[in-house]
Amino acid sequence: MSDVLIDRPELEGLGQYEFGWHDSDEAGQIAKRGLSEQVVREISELKNESEWMLERRLKGLQLFGRKPMPTWGADLSGIDFDNIKYFVRSTERQAQSWEDLPEDIRNTYDRLGIPEAERSRLVAGVAAQYESEVVYHQIQEDLERQGVIFMDTDTALREHPEIFEEYFGTVIPAGDNKFAALNTAVWSGGSFVYVPKGVHVEIPLQAYFRINTENMGQFERTLIIADEGSYVHYIEGCTAPIYSSDSLHSAVVEIIVKKDARVRYTTIQNWSNNVYNLVTKRAIAEEGATMEWIDGNIGSKVTMKYPSIYLVGERAKGETLSVAFAGPGQHQDAGAKMIHMAPHTTSSIVSKSIARGGGRAGYRGEVRVDANAHHSANTVRCDALLVDTISRSDTYPAIDIRVDDVVLGHEATVSKVSEEQLFYLMSRGMEEDEAMAMIVRGFIEPIARELPMEYALELNKLIEMSMEGSVG
Amino acid sequence: MTVIDTTPVVPVQTRSERPWSFDPEDFERPTGREVNWKLSDLRRLAPLLVDEETEAGERSLDYDTGDAEARGLLVESTGHDAAPRGEIFQPEDLASAIAWKRCANALHVRLPEGQAVEAPVVVRIAGRGADVHGNAHIVIEAMPGSQGTVVLSHEGSAAYAQNVEILVRPGARLEVVSVQDWEDDAVHAAAHQAVVEQGGFLRHIVASFGGGVVRVNPSVRLAGEHAEGELFGLSFADAGQHLESQVYLHHEGVSTKGDVLYKGALQGEGARSVWIGDVLIGSGATGTDSYEKNQNLVLTDGTRADSIPNLEIETGDIAGAGHASATGRFDDEQLFYLQSRGIEEEEARRLVVIGFLMEIVQKVGVPEVEERLAAAIEEELRRGASLAPASRAGA
Repeated sequence: MSDVLIDRPELEGLGQYEFGWHDSDEAGQIAKRGLSEQVVREISELKNESEWMLERRLKGLQLFGRKPMPTWGADLSGIDFDNIKYFVRSTERQAQSWEDLPEDIRNTYDRLGIPEAERSRLVAGVAAQYESEVVYHQIQEDLERQGVIFMDTDTALREHPEIFEEYFGTVIPAGDNKFAALNTAVWSGGSFVYVPKGVHVEIPLQAYFRINTENMGQFERTLIIADEGSYVHYIEGCTAPIYSSDSLHSAVVEIIVKKDARVRYTTIQNWSNNVYNLVTKRAIAEEGATMEWIDGNIGSKVTMKYPSIYLVGERAKGETLSVAFAGPGQHQDAGAKMIHMAPHTTSSIVSKSIARGGGRAGYRGEVRVDANAHHSANTVRCDALLVDTISRSDTYPAIDIRVDDVVLGHEATVSKVSEEQLFYLMSRGMEEDEAMAMIVRGFIEPIARELPMEYALELNKLIEMSMEGSVG
Repeated sequence: MTVIDTTPVVPVQTRSERPWSFDPEDFERPTGREVNWKLSDLRRLAPLLVDEETEAGERSLDYDTGDAEARGLLVESTGHDAAPRGEIFQPEDLASAIAWKRCANALHVRLPEGQAVEAPVVVRIAGRGADVHGNAHIVIEAMPGSQGTVVLSHEGSAAYAQNVEILVRPGARLEVVSVQDWEDDAVHAAAHQAVVEQGGFLRHIVASFGGGVVRVNPSVRLAGEHAEGELFGLSFADAGQHLESQVYLHHEGVSTKGDVLYKGALQGEGARSVWIGDVLIGSGATGTDSYEKNQNLVLTDGTRADSIPNLEIETGDIAGAGHASATGRFDDEQLFYLQSRGIEEEEARRLVVIGFLMEIVQKVGVPEVEERLAAAIEEELRRGASLAPASRAGA
């Protein structure tokens, strides 16, 4: 039995990084390594920021210094904080159109297929992040007419300081955790979205992020505000070239979903396998609001990410769908948090993880129901699929109930791909690798069907590569 | 100049790598941030974290072993270096290391080889007051092919740190029941560590009713091929009580089987239960079949139930593994059904709670122990009868 499970070359394409090239690295050469108050002051000065933001950054730096490294979760001892560039500026100012971009950056995005995506009108607006600063983005005119603001975070700070100051750091305070503090100190880039009352953004807003400087930390900061009764779907996708030494990505994403609004946030994280991806994502859902995280983790060396939803208003609803794939050398410590703080709030978490080739994938979660959150309900369902005997799967759910009138459940199953399943499919004329891929696809299907078309296709492509057995 | 703390800390990556030591000096005083203390009541447990000679020496609590000695089931007390004491026991926290150090002579109950011991061995442990600090090490050994039940029964009041080392030799079938029926001011921290050898079977049951803070943490290694472990628990927390169990089941051997089920009921202001379950399926434990579940029934407002069913799997070649946790108010439908059959609401509520908890009681399989646990549940319900199911009215 064991030998059936150990060697699975047809699965090696899964989680393997496809975009393994990088452009010549000019901006990165002049950036300093290491973090100090001077670096933080320079970032703020370069961006011409107002005093309050500089104060926030310095506070973040102070808290980053004081907070201990996490004593749980993944092994982060490989991060050399003194050997990271905390700010890299790729071009002096933002480009107004595609043609204004430097050629190497255009090539990068050509290979990522952004212009095609735009032309096909699948994408409402593109904010492409290149080395810490957004250098290109465009919003379609109809969005602007609706009053939707979609721009990079640096520009938003300049152009909409009043909205910015009102919400920045209110969902995730600087001292929330060590890496949120680091982000507060050195953040650069990210997306800013404001959807006015009652506006439904019909097509997803999309952003691409890339790390393109060796040892460069990327600390983008995203702030999304959906005003009463509005709807928006934001999509974040990540790809990064492979380098020899480890990179750090530590983003902060804050989302405010006002009364009766709905926000869906989709991530397909496919960092190269040397990136430490330590991200804090949190949403506040007010009365009758709906927040949905769809979180796919395929790349990176280590990911620690637990998108959370604070259900602060009555009848608020939260939903998280999470899929994690860990290949050789990868540790996906993914999960979700739901904090019920008001009556009649409901939430659900569905997590699927697959580990192969010695990788480690897990679910770490927290569900808390406060004393006043009566008539609340939550379900957690985590499933793990084991495809060989050398990989590892973990589940660490925490549930904390402080009120009597709730319904709460956690369930997890771990299953291995059985010889019987394989034999059955093969007896129907399928090749073994085809059969294996079909089982894996079936396993993640509940997540895949929630993705927008182009992302579902991307995910399916990874599975197809495994079917061919031609990669690796 | 900002000083940045980037001291690399490599978190413990698997439950089996948690640090341990016989020397209390090796443990920092817990701060409440540690994974095994973060949900505990450190303030009230403080007396058990002081490494000092226990006031009344060896006999700070009364131990009554009944007729065990007459039946030849008691071995002369065991010193620090006398086997089998310490064969598998490894203190994993400060209270346990102090208890190890400060208990010179361990109680040793042994079921002789090949013998089926019919009547349960009952060890009654009675405290002499909440201010009397006691430390104990108890060894329970089921020799190859033996069979029997050992009950540890706690009452009175004490500040009690206790280590229980359980050895299930090849082919033995052992049941250990630990009943905590303390007075309200008792604090009790127990570390049970067990090994089940080839073809052995251990049923381990923790039943906690009384006590201010009661923390009974069983760890079981299914070390031998075809070893089986059943870890059951039952708790009923009242106002101001903190009842905790951190359960660890480690599948090491081939084709081992594990079943963990803990059920808890909570009633009254400040009633608190903590359950952390760790199941680790080691890389050599092929063919493992394992399931863990924790269910809590919240009877009034003002309570808090923490439930953490962790699962770590290091091999894909298993028969099956799963875990579940559920916390909720008792089933309105059941209640409605019973009321529709003419049963008064109060009585219906009582029946629902009893039905929920009796699942564990019935697993004991020893009538006299089952009767005692059922009586304790009835007593808890009587005490809670005056408490209103608060927020339900606001539905």
